[in-house]
Amino acid sequence: MNKTKAKVAKAKTKKILNVLITYCILIVVAFIFFFPCLWLILASFSKSGSIYSFDGFFPTEYGFDAFKSLFTDTVMYNYPKWFLNTLFIAVMSCILGTIFTILTAYCMSRFRFKSRKAMMKTTLILGMFPSFMGTIAVYLMMTQFNLINQHWGLILIYSAQAPMGYMVQKGFFDTIPYSIDEAARIDGASNFTVFVKFILPMSKPILVYTALTAFTWPWSDFILPKMLLVDKDLYTVAVGLMSLGETEFARFAAGSIFIAIPIIILYFCLVKYMINGMAAGAVKE
Amino acid sequence: MKTAQKIKSFFKDIPSKIKSIPKRLSVRFAGAKEIITQGNGKVAASMLVMGLGQLLYAQWAKGFMFFIIQIAFIVYFVLTGATDLFGFFTLGSRESNAWYGVDGDNSVVMLIMGILSILIIILYVAIYIANVKDAYRTQCAADTLKQPTKFKKELGSLLDKSFHKTALALPVVGVCVFSILPIVFMILIAFTNYGGDIVPPALVDWVGFENFGKILSLGQFAPTFFKIFGWNMLWAVLATAINYFAGLGLALLLNKKCVKGKVFWRAFPILAYAIPGFITLLGFKFMFSYGGPINYYIQQGGGEAVGFLGLDAKWTARFIGLAVNAWISIPSTMLLATGILSNINTDLYEAARVDGASAWRQFIKITLPYVLFATTPVLISQFIGNFNNFGIFYFLRGGLYVDGYFLASDTDLLINWLYNMSIDNNYYSIGAAISLVIFVITSIISLTVYVLSPSYKQEETFR
Repeated sequence: MNKTKAKVAKAKTKKILNVLITYCILIVVAFIFFFPCLWLILASFSKSGSIYSFDGFFPTEYGFDAFKSLFTDTVMYNYPKWFLNTLFIAVMSCILGTIFTILTAYCMSRFRFKSRKAMMKTTLILGMFPSFMGTIAVYLMMTQFNLINQHWGLILIYSAQAPMGYMVQKGFFDTIPYSIDEAARIDGASNFTVFVKFILPMSKPILVYTALTAFTWPWSDFILPKMLLVDKDLYTVAVGLMSLGETEFARFAAGSIFIAIPIIILYFCLVKYMINGMAAGAVKE
Repeated sequence: MKTAQKIKSFFKDIPSKIKSIPKRLSVRFAGAKEIITQGNGKVAASMLVMGLGQLLYAQWAKGFMFFIIQIAFIVYFVLTGATDLFGFFTLGSRESNAWYGVDGDNSVVMLIMGILSILIIILYVAIYIANVKDAYRTQCAADTLKQPTKFKKELGSLLDKSFHKTALALPVVGVCVFSILPIVFMILIAFTNYGGDIVPPALVDWVGFENFGKILSLGQFAPTFFKIFGWNMLWAVLATAINYFAGLGLALLLNKKCVKGKVFWRAFPILAYAIPGFITLLGFKFMFSYGGPINYYIQQGGGEAVGFLGLDAKWTARFIGLAVNAWISIPSTMLLATGILSNINTDLYEAARVDGASAWRQFIKITLPYVLFATTPVLISQFIGNFNNFGIFYFLRGGLYVDGYFLASDTDLLINWLYNMSIDNNYYSIGAAISLVIFVITSIISLTVYVLSPSYKQEETFR
């Protein structure tokens, strides 16, 4: 009798220990991921702004000066304008890029045409090229087409290159049973109707995933805008923030928070779709 | 064992594959032969003037469409196409001369426009072949006294039978112009002497394989290449392994039954995931800089400021790079693993528990094989992504050149070195040649893994 009691007690302590350790690790992980973010938030409320006047991680004095100057002192650094530029470019590339990527992935998944395997292998190989080597060519082409220093030039490039990453989406469409298409076709629906009326409504997770990645890429890219945009007023936020020095650290932090907030909200609202979309795209049994 | 056999059989098959080329070619051209021998005068008319055959069969809309395409192509070719194509081979012959006010040829632009003209010609030939085939199809229909398909109906088939052609048209054109053309350009640059003093307005020329010889023979390139390549491989393997297993571990931890408030705990890594990468990287650079918070605490404790990312900080900088990369990439692996773990059949664990398997054994025997199997394609792309991870060291230690390296630092990956050489220092052709070498290596690795992986072979399982 006593023995079993001891056993139960031992198992219990083991369980409690297990839970304890788990929570300890979780707290450490949360701290590691949260602390740098907290640091940036605190820094944005620093009064002096320069990184050299900090007490370690913490500013010596707090104030809203960085945010104020971010939106009012626009002569040197026109942050509001940068923000609107970035928003415009990201939204347009997101819409066009998502349409192109979804169409490509769907066709690659559902249709069997002559050049299909060849196209799949080519995109796979070409995806491995160091992409910025090609940016020299893109830059020269843009000068030829007179699209330097124009937002539409960037949108064109982002949305035209988006279909190269169709593999995850194709994986998702592969998992939708073919019998759905066949049933609809027997009822006389055309391929276009099947796609719009039957497949798209089922593909919400992957649509969200695609749109989100197509949005965040232009939102945080710096190589292309740095190369193609000359006027400071046409800059995107990424290029603009990079031109800030260490003495403008508070302003950098404040600007970073504003650019990060929309994406963070999007992610938290859509995280469920993200998980489903990513998993479905990757699982191939 | 199996893999070796597959590779062996692949090489064994090569001779028989080569032998069967004429046979396969003749099969492919059987259609063309049939059209040439069986086609009537109207088909021949379509061969001469696009759309003429269709017009003779009274298919007005389609005929005019083909005809207009031909006119447009001829106009393009006369106006710029022919000179562009010619310029591709010569790369310009007229040197600019400011004294006499002569505008010279810009060789690099000529190269690009030349590639573009070749793409347009290929597109035109494809349309031309479609035109002849269509004329022959109309002839066959007319011969059997069937009504030739109405234009309206053919338009309708663009949304049905040939939906894929309609849907893929724009993406394919976009990818060709903005992804394939730049890559072709880059490959071709490796065979020119573009770079150094020879940038427009100076004339660039084709030099064949000279650049590849230079990489091997010139003392400055080869040692740096091998040093950086070794570190690059180590980095790619370490970074991929760390991110993968840490992400998986985190997902398993959050999946534990005893964890309450999963949404709350998961929020922290997602927060890190959602912050744009360049902000994170610049933030970490500030954190480890001389005047940054970490050095502040070291100085408070009586120590001396450490240049974590400074000139002689080889291994500390490398470790910081790995850690920062983990901070950025682990959350995405965690999300992926969470999704996949939710798909595992829980009966397996039930059975394992009944058999008395420990938690560790369950992980090794059930979880790991399942997740590994499900994520092979992702693992490959993560490896390639890490191999070509440009941002990390560009932001943390950009623009730093270290002794013993040619235009690079000891943390730079090959892609950073290429950037330094081609964008910052004008070594375009050498950079292009080196990137070609890298590309061959990475593509061989990943293509073999991909073709051998079950996800490629069993693509049709779900159909």
